[in-house]
Amino acid sequence: MTDTGTALRAAGLGKRFGRSTAPWALRDCTLRLPAGRVCALVGPNGAGKSTLLAMAAGLLAPTEGGLTVLGEHPADARPRVGYVAQGKPLYPQLTIADTLRVGADLNPGRWDAATAGRIVAAGDLDPRARVRTLSGGQRTRVALALVLGKRPELLLLDEPMADLDPLARHELMGTLMAEAAQHGTTIVLSSHVVAELEESCDHLLLIGGGQVRMAGDIDDLLAAHTRVTAPAADADLTGHTVVESRTTGRQLTALLRPGGPLPEDWRTFAPSLEELVLAHLRNPQAPALTPAPAQPQETHA
Amino acid sequence: MTTTTAPAPAAPAARRPAVRPRLVPWLLRLHRPALYVWAALVLVLAAALAWLWGPITDAAAAAWRQYDACDMNRRCSYDQDAILRYKDVYGYTTFAVTALPFLVAAWSGAALFGRELENGTAQLAWVQSVSPARWLAAKLALPALLVTAGTGVLVTLHHLAWTAGRGRIDTAKPWTDDLTLHAGGPTTVAFALAGLAAGALVALLSRRALPALALTLCVTGAVRAAASWALPHLWPAVTHRSSLTTGYTSGGLEVEHGLITTSGTHIADPGCGPTTIEECRRLYSGLDATAFYTKTHPYSHYWPLQLTTTAVVLALTGLFVLAAFRVLRRTTGPAARSAGNTSATAATGTPARAGRA
Amino acid sequence: MLEYRIDRHSGVATYVQIVQQTKQALRLKLLEPGDRLPTAREVVEATAINPNTVLKAYRELEREGLVEARRGLGTFVRRSLGTAPTDDSPLRAELDGWAARAREAGLDRDDVAALFTAVLDRHFAVREEHLREEHLQGDAS
Repeated sequence: MTDTGTALRAAGLGKRFGRSTAPWALRDCTLRLPAGRVCALVGPNGAGKSTLLAMAAGLLAPTEGGLTVLGEHPADARPRVGYVAQGKPLYPQLTIADTLRVGADLNPGRWDAATAGRIVAAGDLDPRARVRTLSGGQRTRVALALVLGKRPELLLLDEPMADLDPLARHELMGTLMAEAAQHGTTIVLSSHVVAELEESCDHLLLIGGGQVRMAGDIDDLLAAHTRVTAPAADADLTGHTVVESRTTGRQLTALLRPGGPLPEDWRTFAPSLEELVLAHLRNPQAPALTPAPAQPQETHA
Repeated sequence: MTTTTAPAPAAPAARRPAVRPRLVPWLLRLHRPALYVWAALVLVLAAALAWLWGPITDAAAAAWRQYDACDMNRRCSYDQDAILRYKDVYGYTTFAVTALPFLVAAWSGAALFGRELENGTAQLAWVQSVSPARWLAAKLALPALLVTAGTGVLVTLHHLAWTAGRGRIDTAKPWTDDLTLHAGGPTTVAFALAGLAAGALVALLSRRALPALALTLCVTGAVRAAASWALPHLWPAVTHRSSLTTGYTSGGLEVEHGLITTSGTHIADPGCGPTTIEECRRLYSGLDATAFYTKTHPYSHYWPLQLTTTAVVLALTGLFVLAAFRVLRRTTGPAARSAGNTSATAATGTPARAGRA
Repeated sequence: MLEYRIDRHSGVATYVQIVQQTKQALRLKLLEPGDRLPTAREVVEATAINPNTVLKAYRELEREGLVEARRGLGTFVRRSLGTAPTDDSPLRAELDGWAARAREAGLDRDDVAALFTAVLDRHFAVREEHLREEHLQGDAS
């Protein structure tokens, strides 16, 4: 995969709401999301996912640090970025057709009426229906139509699938993936459930306790970790980064980032993404795995 | 569909919007019901004021002529209904025009700004190709235009209607009557604009519709009360002297009154009465008072007072608007272009100044 | 047009599933040389998987010489996999006989399936390993 662009870059980013005594919603966040990725922004509730997305969308000013979006200041990138907030805000008094007309009014020169119309039509929605009469799933569909009609280069979606039934979830995710396939749109989807994003995303950004715990292409992250079981008596984990280890009886089980070859008699397994995420969240003291800003990982491509 | 080749990793070259966002159609689409209500309100009130200006005033004036021609000793008939109708219609329309700024303020705080910030549709607009600052500018400018036009027409009609009755109807309100003074002058237009701006500021601070509604009404009420209080002091008044025996002269819009001492200084009047009362005479001589004085505004000060008060309220409105923009900027970060250096800061990792404004 | 069915719980990597299903279609003559594979957009719209997964599978098929990407047109089948035994082939007859004997020996359907899979794994595991190895190397390089 080539990396000719950066969709999102943050350095020492922090946000605190209210007074200087308030806790940090996000702290010391340094990350780089290459363009063209579909990124899962994962973390427990209250981890700072929404704060990060709102700052990237230019809705919130950072308290410290800075971020660039598509190489620009978030305020300048606004026309090229799409954002759907968690509550899927839409003007309740407008009809669906009027909502799309608002999209056309406010995004001149970019608006793709055909795409927006197609997404609404796929949901069997009456364009004359008022937004306030729609169900949660239907609202999400209209919100996605509005944001995709803008033809964004970077799409930021905060818990987009939370109130959808499995069928609608699958279908709208398919719509998003089609958008990414056709236009190379970079997509960031936040969720506190990693499983629902695993098949659709190729990049992971794990946030816990207001900090980045793990970031990178999912294949790289999976390749960097190994789950091992070994006899507890002679297991020596030095030289490897230990995310999590547990001794049950005479057996030691651990999730490692191997620092070198592992002994022949250890049994190794490839961890699933969910295992990886849970292990990192369970063990906040485990060192974070993020591409070091000094030597960006993406140079390998 | 030709996408078996790799999707372009970088987006196509940035397409800058060639056209400006169509903010007027957007705003009209959003607030169509409010626009209809405002138009209906202005039409109905304008019709009522025109009715008052013409037929009602004429009928009441005729009735007063009949009444004044009456000899107290004989039975005499006059059109009492016409007189009462004038009083009612004048009272209701004056009250309605006085209430307009509060209506605008309530709508601004609750519907135009508060509800949008509360349910996130304000943010929805900010993530389209419209910056928050332009959003706020548009949401203030178009309503300001319509509010100015509407209230402008109504206060003009009110002023004409009141003028038509002046000197012809014995019970017509004097120009110094607070409601009459403001309902027939540009101050009401300024109050309405202040209410609109206060709504934006308060809503941006509270981000909740209901508190914004209540607070905006309070602020607008305070502006109205402060303007009423300040108005007489915003233009030099005329001082009248009157002797201690005759008491105060009245008339015009009074600013203050009191006693003048032999040295010419103005002191407070203990409020006793004319010197025909012996006790008062002794009191005044003890204070070294030589005369009463009254500072008032004659009717000729009507326009200077209206215009200075309007200017002060508009200046306050400007402050509200400025503060609203500052609050918006503080929450959403610096406006586009003005912060080009932040990208460099982000790359080097030094704390940005963003959010400290 | 070929439709892929992705089984999220199979434990087989998604792109491998696409490779396997494409080959299956080639063997069953559902796809023939000159046929166009569905575009990445069409696949992801129906399956909601990541576009790069589809592209990775297509690259693998291209590397094996089964398909070719024509820029701007799509991905087309180059050659068929005509090795699937037809109904009257000797291989099928042998398997048929073997299944009958297994049944006589008292094995039920699950036993047979387990046995078959175990043998299959022994003979064809190399290929899977090969795929996986390459997958990891490709990412770590």
